[in-house]
Amino acid sequence: MLVIGEIRTGLLQNAGEIPDPDYQRVLHVRHGERVLLSRRPIVYGVAPYQLIGVDCRLPSATGSRPRGIGTVMARTSLTSGRVLQGSSHVRIVRGEAGYRLPWSHYLARPGMIETLGKFKPADVADGFLSSAGIGGQLDLGSVSEHMMDLAQDCDALDRRAPFRSERTRLRWAATPGDPDIHFTLGVGGERTVRVSHPGDFSAAIVALCEDLALHDWLLTTLLSLVGRARIGVAPRTEVLARLAPAADALLHLWMPAARTERCLQPLWESLERTPGFTRQWTSLAQRVRDQIALGVLPLLSEANG
Amino acid sequence: MGVPVSAFSELTAEEQVKGTPFAHLSVELGHLYMEDYQVGPDRLREQFGQVAPWLETARKGWRGLVPGGRARISTCFLIDDYFSRFSTPREVIPMILAAAGESDLTIDYLARESACAQANGIPLATLVHDRLVRDPPPDTRGWRPPNDETGWLANGPRSPQQDSGQAMKAPQPWAPPAQNAKRGQSIFVDVELWTGDGADRVWSCPFLAAVWQLLRLGLLRHDGDLPVLPVQWEGGFPASWEALPPVIKLNHSAAPFSAYATMSVLSTRFLQVELAVRTILSQVSVDEVVLKQVTSRSLDEDLMLKEELVDRISYVFL
Repeated sequence: MLVIGEIRTGLLQNAGEIPDPDYQRVLHVRHGERVLLSRRPIVYGVAPYQLIGVDCRLPSATGSRPRGIGTVMARTSLTSGRVLQGSSHVRIVRGEAGYRLPWSHYLARPGMIETLGKFKPADVADGFLSSAGIGGQLDLGSVSEHMMDLAQDCDALDRRAPFRSERTRLRWAATPGDPDIHFTLGVGGERTVRVSHPGDFSAAIVALCEDLALHDWLLTTLLSLVGRARIGVAPRTEVLARLAPAADALLHLWMPAARTERCLQPLWESLERTPGFTRQWTSLAQRVRDQIALGVLPLLSEANG
Repeated sequence: MGVPVSAFSELTAEEQVKGTPFAHLSVELGHLYMEDYQVGPDRLREQFGQVAPWLETARKGWRGLVPGGRARISTCFLIDDYFSRFSTPREVIPMILAAAGESDLTIDYLARESACAQANGIPLATLVHDRLVRDPPPDTRGWRPPNDETGWLANGPRSPQQDSGQAMKAPQPWAPPAQNAKRGQSIFVDVELWTGDGADRVWSCPFLAAVWQLLRLGLLRHDGDLPVLPVQWEGGFPASWEALPPVIKLNHSAAPFSAYATMSVLSTRFLQVELAVRTILSQVSVDEVVLKQVTSRSLDEDLMLKEELVDRISYVFL
């Protein structure tokens, strides 16, 4: 059994954090649906899943590229009115028929792709995780990207983001096995995660990967902002001008595993040991605060005459 | 003392989906359009006379399927007040009930067709339209911008359009459309869902009929609630259609309006419309929580429902 997914994370194109009542508009829910909003320990809103139909070749490391038909689950979420995610995933199973069935068959199994003929889960997982940019096959990225674009197009947004930032792309694959996780940092904004889980696949694993993607984006973005500030090279005022938006927008968002199920928390903890996401964040955040404190010193001595 | 396990939950973070009681089968005894009304009550009497034996056949069949032989079957009738307004409830409904009575038929629920477009302020047709998941042609890899007329729905790729902007190019030879799930040969179906935008939107007959089936199957929710609940009706009928609730219950002891399966007895002149309905319904995604709710109820009664929702809909064409 195999479930694969892709999460895109980015900054909502709005000057400030959007208030709770606007989540319903920005997350583009359909008629008769409601954003599920939690306010503790951090505001997080998620729209119900939508389905996208596919009929295409599946990624594969060996080049076998089996054909699969079914529906991909996709949804958008927003954390603290600031960080937007488009997340899609699908379960891949072997179909019983050797030919394409009527569409109603696939809609009765939401979130599943059935292959025509055999497939090897490890082969498809390997192919998916290593397949950035390969065309002619399942493209979960386009689905996640589309979910984000729908939100960013909302006319409730002023399109004045507090700073320039990049979207990150996290592809993940989950297979049954002893609990284990492997996070790989790629080039550009690419990341991959392999999860193995005891028992059945659950929605909690999607939530874990989304949480990892969120925190990786926060870390990546803060690293980039600190890098661009040229601490020790540029004049202090310039450094502070670059860092102030980070202090305003990002420093309070770090809250790993806030909604991770208890049984999956050990997976987050293993990543806290190596490489140590929170360790790096704490150091960076402190560095930003130190710069701000250092920037205050000349003003204090001026004030004291 | 062990470490206490804290429990915290937030109501706004939880999905609340209401359930509903189910009949085993909902049988549509007929529907009234203006052209039927204009012909007079004889047409209605004739139709009810044809329907009656099929209702009895359905009852016998379900008695055999249901443990204990007690099948819950409810009947319904649909009146068009969307495509044309004719007469009044006060005149029309007693005529329908009298004609049904002559064939010993009881109409449990009566519905207005306009309810399928909008009922109690809920835009039902738009709600269903939002839940269309289009049948993907081969080599659909993910999301791509829709390139077709969004007021139409097909069961496969249409014939490629001639590129009218390129006058210098040689005309492309015609290529046929195709049915995605064809077995051998294609039966290509393209259905008009609506015309007009905003306040001018007019939903097509097949689309409203698809909404009607989903209502009868108890599969629609709005903010977690059933969008339409039948209102028990007593006494005389009002002089205007607006004064009548979207669905009324005429028989106190009727089985529930929502059912695990539906059956409709129709004239063969509606065969094309119902093919269009099936094409639409096979591209509607019902909320997974609702699907599981219905399955769970049916399993509690030791009943196995058909997996695909289109297979829960049956017809007799006369």
